Amino acid sequence: MGKLSEKLRLTFAVATVVCVLALAISPLKDFRAEWKHYKRSFAKFAQGRPDTKKLLADYNPNIDQIWLPGLNVTDRCTTCHQGMTQPTLADASVPQPYRAHPAIPHNVRDWGCTACHRGQGLATEAAEAHETTLAWEKPILPAHFLQASCGTCHQVDLKETPQLARGRQLLTRLNCQGCHKLNYLDQPMLGPDLSNVGYKVSREWIYKWLKEPRTVLDKDGNATVNGYESGDESRMPKFRLKDEEIKSLSAFLSVQKAKPLETYKINPAVVAAWGKKPDLISQGEVRFRQMMCTTCHPLAVTRAGETKLIGGNIGPELTKVGSKVNDEWLVAWLRNPKGYLEHANMPRYGWSDEDLYKVSQYVMGKLTDSDLLTGVPQLGAATDEEVTVGKRLFAEKGCASCHSLKGLGLQKDFGPDLTALGAKNASELEFGKANISHSLVSYLQAKLQDPVAVNPAARMPQYSWNQADLDAVTTALLSQTGPAPTSALQHLVVPKKDAWFQTVGAFAEVYERYKCYACHRFNGYGGTLAPDLSFEGSRAQKKWIAEFLKNPQTIRPALILRMPQFNMSDKDASIAAEYLSMAIQKPDVDPESVDAKQFTTAMITMGKQLYEVKFQCQSCHTIGSGGGYVGPNLNNAGNWLTPAWIEAWLRNPQALQPDTIEPRRNFTEDEIRALTAYITTLRTGIKPQTTASAVAAHPPAQGAGR
Amino acid sequence: MRSKLVLMALLLYGALCGLALSGCKKSVAAVSLDSAFGAYDTEPDWNDNTKVINLGYQESQGQRVFYLYCVWCHADASPAGPSNRSNVTPTPPLMNDGDKLNSESDEFMQNIITLGGSALGRSAMMPPYGKTLRPEEIKAVIAFTRAIAQPAYQKPGRAGSPYTTK
Repeated sequence: MGKLSEKLRLTFAVATVVCVLALAISPLKDFRAEWKHYKRSFAKFAQGRPDTKKLLADYNPNIDQIWLPGLNVTDRCTTCHQGMTQPTLADASVPQPYRAHPAIPHNVRDWGCTACHRGQGLATEAAEAHETTLAWEKPILPAHFLQASCGTCHQVDLKETPQLARGRQLLTRLNCQGCHKLNYLDQPMLGPDLSNVGYKVSREWIYKWLKEPRTVLDKDGNATVNGYESGDESRMPKFRLKDEEIKSLSAFLSVQKAKPLETYKINPAVVAAWGKKPDLISQGEVRFRQMMCTTCHPLAVTRAGETKLIGGNIGPELTKVGSKVNDEWLVAWLRNPKGYLEHANMPRYGWSDEDLYKVSQYVMGKLTDSDLLTGVPQLGAATDEEVTVGKRLFAEKGCASCHSLKGLGLQKDFGPDLTALGAKNASELEFGKANISHSLVSYLQAKLQDPVAVNPAARMPQYSWNQADLDAVTTALLSQTGPAPTSALQHLVVPKKDAWFQTVGAFAEVYERYKCYACHRFNGYGGTLAPDLSFEGSRAQKKWIAEFLKNPQTIRPALILRMPQFNMSDKDASIAAEYLSMAIQKPDVDPESVDAKQFTTAMITMGKQLYEVKFQCQSCHTIGSGGGYVGPNLNNAGNWLTPAWIEAWLRNPQALQPDTIEPRRNFTEDEIRALTAYITTLRTGIKPQTTASAVAAHPPAQGAGR
Repeated sequence: MRSKLVLMALLLYGALCGLALSGCKKSVAAVSLDSAFGAYDTEPDWNDNTKVINLGYQESQGQRVFYLYCVWCHADASPAGPSNRSNVTPTPPLMNDGDKLNSESDEFMQNIITLGGSALGRSAMMPPYGKTLRPEEIKAVIAFTRAIAQPAYQKPGRAGSPYTTK
């Protein structure tokens, strides 16, 4: 071996030092790891707290992880989020990442973090844990859409997750299942069967409807119906159709006359007598209002210069319906909705010729807009060629997914399967030229707002959401994460039960004719607009039910939405009263079990004292003309309620009606007796005040100050 | 030849060091979530509906309970339209009335909601909700009240303590 030159010696010496330094970098890097930084600053933070001792006792300088093999969870989030389970760190003034988790029904140690929040449980760096990076795909779910995670297991809506429930309700109401496969939703509401639509509307109206189906966005982006602001998304979306396509479709639909209309000729004597009266239309309006058509159908009303839709959302909006339908069709429809539409949700009212004439004249004469069809070209009769093209378009554009036609069944799976949409990675999505951040949430929102923004060839129609509804639908879609990845998770799913209420005999006919289930709920089945009738037999007296059905103005006249005046026959009313009072009782509230005769005058006097002075029930209930209107008016409670129900209700209202807002009180048995004695003496049929709480089941309007 | 080898060795070391050092450079930056979606829920300011108040999980649960049970008497409008407030004497405070409610402690609020007005020497028109709402629901309503209070609620803290928000 030759002697090394001085130069080489020096080179190696320098290289060795550099090598040693390089080796030292590794421990230094480890010391400076991001999570260690959070560890150390938590220890420092804990020093300045009054609960230092407890916090430091739980302090662990190493990586902390929640490992739940059954749930497929290995979450190291608590390495940095060290105060997660420290109740003293719950306050908003505690800096993140040290704040405690809010109290939720699931314990963090038993469930981990990523099951709800998504993100990367294994990561030990903030960016990798929370955001999409090259190596990690699943970003954290923004807090605003967190209820989506509840929905992955809870198929039944929880009261704690109103945003998710609203989203699911919209998916059902707008019949998204017509085109898409979705999980855990109620039976969808179909669009009307169009087999006979040629009898109902003109070709010009169909043209206008397809061009601009009611919903218009004003300059502020508010959803409006016929130009009026509405809290509800119009159910018919706007399709991007070319003028030629609209012409062909309108031609095809205008010749749909599968079953001849059952026309009805109103007695000419009635027409002659009423036809010349100047107040015909105003009398028709009075009748229209008495029948409470607005319980289901909204109408635009102008109050104090502001035009708003007032009324329910079960049926279509009627402000301009007189310019839409044929008068012959209207009379036939009012008399027997089922004659025109098999799946109609409209009850069959009892009509006298006089009422039928007055109301139909009001609808055709007053609920009109001469400008409705402005801008629609004169289309004339449909040609064979147009009809053929229209028929093809009806299938191609997906119309058949929501609307059935005689001879054409409902189209299945027109759009993509969305049951696992909420679990998709951003890289699996088509963003097109849309200038949005590449995440699932922004994709969903962009697609819902403008389907062609992310995919120019999209067939999906245009909706016009307000921000709250857009967020709600996004939440509901994010909850559609497909089958659970592990069997342990599958076992956690809280399944949805199908509720069904079956009636028999004469009542079944009455129930079906008046569509009781459209508003009332029976054993979990039916609408939520009106009181739950599952235990009506225990609650109401038979005589009262029969009278109420014939003249339903007496008990809960809420502001707008009230029980319709069906002109029910004596026979129907007594069949319904008989069935409701005998067959649907709460087993432990026997209406016969408390006899009103046992109540003494002393008890009644004491009850009045308790009502007025000790418990001050008048803050919510009205007797006479004084009191509040949060709860029902009690003026006629003695004729309405059974004493057994009153007692059971006072003992525990939620046991009888779980969602009632009446608070459960600490009444003694003597107090319950006395209050019941007093309430049973209230037997005046004074027209009661409005009942505000009757609409409590609806999603609350945000911002009570407004 | 030899000097070339040396140069290569040095370059290799340099590259190694550079690689190792670059790993250390990562800054501890705050994680940026889309700010609009950062809040669990929101409530418009009752006095100025151009302003929006961000709510956390507990506050939004309180919002839900409030709009179901309390809104009838403690707001100027209810989901059904008019308020029942004018039917109640003495007139109940608006839930965002910071002048009246900020001075009441959390314990007092918890008690009056749980036990009712008469138990605390206030109006009997305020019924007790202790058997209807769970304690955590009542706490959530209080948290919601604090969140929407105008003027804003200041959490009481010990003087000079670093955790007071004052």
